[in-house]
Amino acid sequence: MPSQTIPVERSLRWLPKDELQSLFDAMTARGYTIVGPTIDQEAIVYDRITSVDDLPRGWTDVQAPGSYRLKRRDDEALFGYVVGPHSWKRFLFPPLATVATADRTAEGWTMGTPPDDAPKYAFLGVRACELAAIRVQDRTFMEGPYVDPIYAARRQQALIVAVNCTQAAATCFCTSMGTGPRATAGFDLALTELPAGFVLETGSERGAEIVADLETTDADAELLNQAEAARQQAVDQITRRLDTEGIRDLLLGNLNHPRWNDVASRCLSCTNCTMVCPTCFCSSVKDVTDLQGDHVERQRQWDSCFNFDFSYMNGGVVRDQIRSRYRQWLTHKLASWIDQFGTSGCVGCGRCITWCPVGIDLTEEVAAIRESS
Amino acid sequence: MMPTTVPAARINPWQPDPVVVRETIAEAPDVTTYRLAFRDDDRAASFSFRPGQFGMLYAPGIGEVPIGISGSCPAERTWSFTVRAMGNTTRALARLQAGDTLGLRAPFGSAWPLDVCEGADVVIVAGGLGLPPLRPAIHKIIEDRRLYGRVTLIYGSRTPDTLIYVREYDDWSRQQIEVLTTVDRADLSWKGNVGVVPLLLDYLQPLVPERTVVMTCGPEVMMRYTVRSAVARGIPIERIWASTERNMQCAIGLCGHCQFGPEFICKDGPVFRYDRIEPWLKVEGL
Amino acid sequence: MMEKQAIDDLLRQLGFTAGLPDPVLDELASVSAVVRFPAGATIFREETKNPFVYVVERGHVGLDMHVPTRGRVRILSVGPGEMLAWSALLGDSVMTVSAVALEDTQAVAICGSTLAKLCSTNHEAGYLLMRRMATSLAQRLTATRLQLLDLFAEPTVAASAGLREE
Repeated sequence: MPSQTIPVERSLRWLPKDELQSLFDAMTARGYTIVGPTIDQEAIVYDRITSVDDLPRGWTDVQAPGSYRLKRRDDEALFGYVVGPHSWKRFLFPPLATVATADRTAEGWTMGTPPDDAPKYAFLGVRACELAAIRVQDRTFMEGPYVDPIYAARRQQALIVAVNCTQAAATCFCTSMGTGPRATAGFDLALTELPAGFVLETGSERGAEIVADLETTDADAELLNQAEAARQQAVDQITRRLDTEGIRDLLLGNLNHPRWNDVASRCLSCTNCTMVCPTCFCSSVKDVTDLQGDHVERQRQWDSCFNFDFSYMNGGVVRDQIRSRYRQWLTHKLASWIDQFGTSGCVGCGRCITWCPVGIDLTEEVAAIRESS
Repeated sequence: MMPTTVPAARINPWQPDPVVVRETIAEAPDVTTYRLAFRDDDRAASFSFRPGQFGMLYAPGIGEVPIGISGSCPAERTWSFTVRAMGNTTRALARLQAGDTLGLRAPFGSAWPLDVCEGADVVIVAGGLGLPPLRPAIHKIIEDRRLYGRVTLIYGSRTPDTLIYVREYDDWSRQQIEVLTTVDRADLSWKGNVGVVPLLLDYLQPLVPERTVVMTCGPEVMMRYTVRSAVARGIPIERIWASTERNMQCAIGLCGHCQFGPEFICKDGPVFRYDRIEPWLKVEGL
Repeated sequence: MMEKQAIDDLLRQLGFTAGLPDPVLDELASVSAVVRFPAGATIFREETKNPFVYVVERGHVGLDMHVPTRGRVRILSVGPGEMLAWSALLGDSVMTVSAVALEDTQAVAICGSTLAKLCSTNHEAGYLLMRRMATSLAQRLTATRLQLLDLFAEPTVAASAGLREE
């Protein structure tokens, strides 16, 4: 049974770089499926990995509104980048999942829940903003009046190995959202990478138990200072800001602001932002049957409020304009979310800015409304 | 890393329960009431709902559709749903006959404020398929009639042949519920009211506004103008409740479709005190 | 024939005239009469002249328009407190609808031309009466618009074509 308690003392250890594989081995030995950063289709994505060699050694990302490129580093850093198009939500809240089944029998339809062989994941390389995003999705999927069993089953088993950012992308704004760049809670282990190895911070009993299996040494003051300096570099590199002062009333009080028309003239309603956003949770369920129509699976898949018929009702679409749909997304993410869940839905990861084909920047949109309201 | 809460009970809120159709009642062209019973005895014994709540009717292989619970017969452990056939799923439901099975997830959502209605005059304003979710409230009021003051039902439909539950109006009248119906259009064989629903509220007499509670359900524009009429008559907005509608799919606040401003219609609603949703009703395409 | 005082009292209660100042009510009462129509009676016919504005006291009146090949279409019904035959005051007294009593109906009939003269000589009374008339017509306009929106209509095939249904 996974541990629920957080040890009072966060112990700090030093793991030499060539010992990182033993962390992989320790997780594999405990039956975890390790998911972590790796290069695919010229981006750093999250996928199943088994060894240190799968990590993007010596690579970094260069991000800007509507642009993402990989670039070679001049060192051999294993975690020298920030976040890519994937987030951990694709593992906790799978893009496609069967939520219920129905079978036709002689006595009529029976219904059931399919067996869920929920993988026991170890997430390696979780950034502070992503820890916050997982926490945000925890509230949606597990802390409301109804609990999603698929999310819960994966979440409870997941081992979280965080990585502290030592740099920031041009699109990052976690400092504005109070979510980073330093990982402070919600992890089993946290790593800060230095050229010779990692400062290892234990965040739970589960984490401590794994550290016990590794060849670590004391993390002396010198190493701790270097780690602190490395993390500070991430803070210093953040240039983008979102002013969140009174943002809930600012947005919900300006639902007819002309800026919505302005952004609608640029927005393609392509749904990229919602796909890459680590907190977006919209889904829809479709029935899929076998050829005879005797066995039915209710399949839940990711949906997006940008899809044209997302708000279809009684023969028509409520949000039939891009203006309405963009407004819905932004006001939900930054304003309504606060009413619904007590926090912002945005963690400042910047993915929506990077992956928008036309480079719409929500920090800019909010600033424009604030300026002229 | 463990999250802070762990669900103890292993319930899947996505899974429907099998139900069997005990009876189908043709209410109007394309409108049918289904009396459903759970196949599982435990479920049948434990099920209860509050007037205003809805369920998700499931036609396996086709899909689910949100329908207000429109009646109940606890003695027979059946629950009723009144459905208009207009899309794929509802047209599939229209083919059901007694003995057929389908799926049901219920009950969901918020309920009519019958507690606030105690000791008050109640004006129920319904339009079209807005009457079914109010019908259990009418039944509850009749059950304990002496708890309530004057009770009036204003109900409008497009034409006389689309009025539903007509067979019950006499009984409701006998139970001291004033039943006022109106239609948008009619031929001369109709001797009743012709005109939109808010007009009946405009001219309702007698009316003691401070003592009156309004519960309304119907097309959104109808409800907005009904509330205008109510407020113009001096009924405080805190004494007006409306049942709203948006695209509801999961009914459990997880799919995101039913959001209306910051409200999830499926779990914060569908019944809202009107002042809570008034700002959102004014915004085009929200 | 009802006494003027009785008509006065009646006008005080009826929605259309309630709340008007005493002198105005007094003037109105002096040019009004209470009339009764049994169920089925025609109060006035479309396209004919009718000199009276009516305020319904009790009963129910259907307002119909005639459309060739559709026959008589009932576009509205009015009940206690409501006004009909505004053309007798504002227009040329040629009725735009036929009015038929759907049940035994009693109404106050006010001579339209006299009322018009009252409005032009007593501007304060005129203003108040015109405001009432405008308010009543505005309400009826809104109601007509809602009828026009056909809110209870089933969505058309065209509206739902190409969209995912349920």
